[in-house]
Amino acid sequence: MKDNIILRIIAKLLIPLIILFALYVQFHGDYSPGGGFQAGVIFSAAFILYTLVFGVDTAERVIPERFLRVIASLGVLVYAGTGLDALIMGGEFLNYSKLVTDSVTGQHIGIILVELGVGMTVSSVMLLIFFTFANRGRPQGNDHD
Amino acid sequence: MIEYFLEHSVSHYNYWAAIIIMMIGLYIVISHTNLIKKIAGLNIFQTAVFLLYISIGVVSDGTAPIAAAGFAIYSNPLPQVLMLTAIVVGVATTALAFALIVRIKEAYDSVEEDDIFDKDDLCDEDSDQW
Repeated sequence: MKDNIILRIIAKLLIPLIILFALYVQFHGDYSPGGGFQAGVIFSAAFILYTLVFGVDTAERVIPERFLRVIASLGVLVYAGTGLDALIMGGEFLNYSKLVTDSVTGQHIGIILVELGVGMTVSSVMLLIFFTFANRGRPQGNDHD
Repeated sequence: MIEYFLEHSVSHYNYWAAIIIMMIGLYIVISHTNLIKKIAGLNIFQTAVFLLYISIGVVSDGTAPIAAAGFAIYSNPLPQVLMLTAIVVGVATTALAFALIVRIKEAYDSVEEDDIFDKDDLCDEDSDQW
């Protein structure tokens, strides 16, 4: 589909807007409906659109699979780290109020960090699932069977 | 008795909507032989469960369950968070199902259940002969 100019222009117009909306859902998630799961899926939808229009090889140059694996693990680390940090500060696991001395600020920082971890993991895992299916049965770089 | 039933079945229309969507999904699962369509049916079935739980948690005139000045009544967040988890689990099971279908397609060269069973039967007959 690389040769279709209408698709390419529309995709180039839409992808930044989709990513922007994903970031809005991510970072406004503590005041309005939204959060890591939704933002992660919207974010990965932008890259899936990119892959559909420009091909898997180009997409893997933009966002390599190894990088995605690192981000997926890092998201879990951020989530668990926030919980453990609260534990170290003298609260229960994931008790945001204890993160900093002021409990309201702690709640804000805690939910942002946890949702950031969720968003990172969800978006990279969605992309990994997509790339795994897209690469299946392709001749080059496929060492299955 | 009949009036009681009518009154409650109309006011709980969300149950009927969930049951109808659920049955559409179940019908697709049992009637289609294409495995991809079966997964689509399963996902529709799943959506009915999400709708059922979330509609049960709704409080009339309630807002989204976010603490804000001027809003005291909000919907029950527990079914919503439960369904958030169910959606994520649903994505994982759908991905697993698709992975299995890809393997089936590679082994049998078909995603139609009838063809797969035919090939299985052929295999059985061959092994009997040998």
